[in-house]
Amino acid sequence: MAMHSNSVDSGTNIPEYEYPDVNTNIFHIGSFRNEWLKRLDRSNYAYEKKSEDTFDANFAKEMGMSADTLADLKSICSVGSLRCHPDDQQPDTNVVPSDPTLRTLIQRKKRQDFRAASKVNKNRHDLYADELERLTGGIKPKAAIDMVPEGDVILTINVYYPANVEKFTCVRPHVTLLMTGSHTLAELRDGICCVSDLQVCGEFSSTPDVAPEFISKDHFKSAYFFFEGVFYNDMRYPECRDISRTVIEWQKAYNVPLYSQAKMEDTRFVDLKVKVGFPYLYCHQGDCEHLVIITDVRLTHANDCLDKKLYPMLVHKHRVPTQKCAVCHIYIGRWLTTNDQFAPSNPCLFCDKCFRMLHYDTKGNKIGHFMAFPYVDRGAFN
Amino acid sequence: MEFCVEEVKSDCVELLSRFQTSDSVRFQTFSKIWREMNFSEIFYGTVNHGEQRAFCRLILDTTSSFFMPPYSFQIRVGGLYLLYSLYHSQTSSPPEQIRLALKDWKDVKKFEKDAVDAQHHDVVYILRKLMFQKAFVFAAMPVALSFKKKRKLQRSVPCEQFMERPSRPQELINIDLLEELSNVEEIYGKLKTSVSSALEQSESSLNLVCKSLAPQLRSTVVDFYQWQQRRGVPRTDDGGGEGTSSQQECSNRAQLLASIKSKAFGEATEAPKSRRHRQVEVDSTGNSAGPSSSSGYSRAKKMSLKARTYQNIYVSGDSWNESPETTCIHRLSALDFGPEEKKKMYNKFHW
Repeated sequence: MAMHSNSVDSGTNIPEYEYPDVNTNIFHIGSFRNEWLKRLDRSNYAYEKKSEDTFDANFAKEMGMSADTLADLKSICSVGSLRCHPDDQQPDTNVVPSDPTLRTLIQRKKRQDFRAASKVNKNRHDLYADELERLTGGIKPKAAIDMVPEGDVILTINVYYPANVEKFTCVRPHVTLLMTGSHTLAELRDGICCVSDLQVCGEFSSTPDVAPEFISKDHFKSAYFFFEGVFYNDMRYPECRDISRTVIEWQKAYNVPLYSQAKMEDTRFVDLKVKVGFPYLYCHQGDCEHLVIITDVRLTHANDCLDKKLYPMLVHKHRVPTQKCAVCHIYIGRWLTTNDQFAPSNPCLFCDKCFRMLHYDTKGNKIGHFMAFPYVDRGAFN
Repeated sequence: MEFCVEEVKSDCVELLSRFQTSDSVRFQTFSKIWREMNFSEIFYGTVNHGEQRAFCRLILDTTSSFFMPPYSFQIRVGGLYLLYSLYHSQTSSPPEQIRLALKDWKDVKKFEKDAVDAQHHDVVYILRKLMFQKAFVFAAMPVALSFKKKRKLQRSVPCEQFMERPSRPQELINIDLLEELSNVEEIYGKLKTSVSSALEQSESSLNLVCKSLAPQLRSTVVDFYQWQQRRGVPRTDDGGGEGTSSQQECSNRAQLLASIKSKAFGEATEAPKSRRHRQVEVDSTGNSAGPSSSSGYSRAKKMSLKARTYQNIYVSGDSWNESPETTCIHRLSALDFGPEEKKKMYNKFHW
């Protein structure tokens, strides 16, 4: 198993567009970080903010300015000079001002008028998204050892839902996770929630109470990431198998240049050589494949969440509509029945309560003919 | 946020063109224009936090492009002032940062150096102030990339009127170079005469050098410069036409490609010999006068499969009326009495 070489020359570690506005060329994340750190002062990326007076004094000294000139300059360039309304008449920022001249505002006003005219229900998913944002911004850890160090990198990774949806839509449903450079790929894997991990295999009509003990996540622990010709396999548990081996053997049979392999738990993000904006692969459960795109790599900032333990951090999630029970239409379906003499359709979804009420008598014995399978809805993680 | 990209760009361009006509690089001038346009209101009226953040991100990214080459120094100063103003007027909290890509760092540094050399104190102050306030975030690329490949190649055309006049010929062929060239020519001429005799001089095979290179170069460059000046004046007539001619060529070519592709997909593909017996019969006795017939004009969009099926399949009147909607499983056994529920129509706003 050949390990990919880490030798890089600094000339190629400045990311450029490979295809304009689509993705970059390949670069090494650790070297990219070093390139930035070489160019910046410590004060540029430190979390602590120094006093403004020190800044002004240093500036005046460097430019050879008198105190009066500096004071003039400060007042001209102050944020106060940008205020469009007097202090005591600050308008409501939630409302578009009347008679707007800017094109953006004219467009927004049209929508505001439309919403005022028709009754628009508040979308509860927007509320969830707002809630999520509130929980993830600017948190500092209690222990210094958990602090993300200054000058570390943060990667924004989109993990797309598997493409086994019947309808093709223009929206690409995904989950966005933030990771730091010092985290390993295995930690990213642990942060990805996919419903296929919760699938339970088997027919349970005779033993409905035993079902929850057989989750796929516990049985099939193998997984890999595929970045730039290298398979990063999860080998943490003895049950994990190298599922990328099939691909490598196929390559050998067809005389195609070989991909190499590495361990997910030993590879940190700073060691990766990747392209930003380019799709890669995450495969688990043997055939559940997710597209993975690293959308952004940047240095940490004082406003980021600085607690290492909170990473991988979820910042965006696409919410999938859930399918409800066919009887009560209130609870999410938990059981799928086929060849069911009581059900109106084949297959049919039931919630736990309705399922038991319909198919089992008071003593818990099975009534009638049917096959029952535990069902995990795609929107289970909403 | 796709719906307001054009509007945001046009508002920024409007502000920057007013700044350009003011012919100044002072922040005072800029803030006056900002107040006149009530530009801080651009953040008002968003519906929720998510939209607010996305909008701040969009406008900061749009403005960052004006801070970079190939725009002229004055426009870049305007871009910097605009970034500063937007950063401090935004309504998101914590504030959205200004992204700086690694590849653009040296341009920023050069810009700062030019400003320091020209003693533009307000420019340098504002740039360093932004750095000090940690308004910048140091990233790999100017925007987040997620492999959005577009069907039509929408090349982001930079604003022509903000760009610096290309002056490479003048920079290259300057006075010093011309002087040196003529000196070298002279020395070469002297060497030639001293080495060869008068007889050989008249042989044309030795006349390899253009006789009056330096004056020719000079006159060419002067002509170019004068042509540029002339071109700059009637902007609305010639400048616009010439500036967009390359754009027109690009869009003509794109249209041609699109028309070829649409014709290729418009006809039903003939199945290979092995599958001929399974060829789909396209019933054209129905409304065949629709756009599916090749009418010569290039369609950008093909009709969806559902629409084409409805168009081509002839359904007898009775069965068409029987099932107007799909069966709802949860309503299989509904009470017969009671008022009919009207279907709720949700109006969606279209940008």
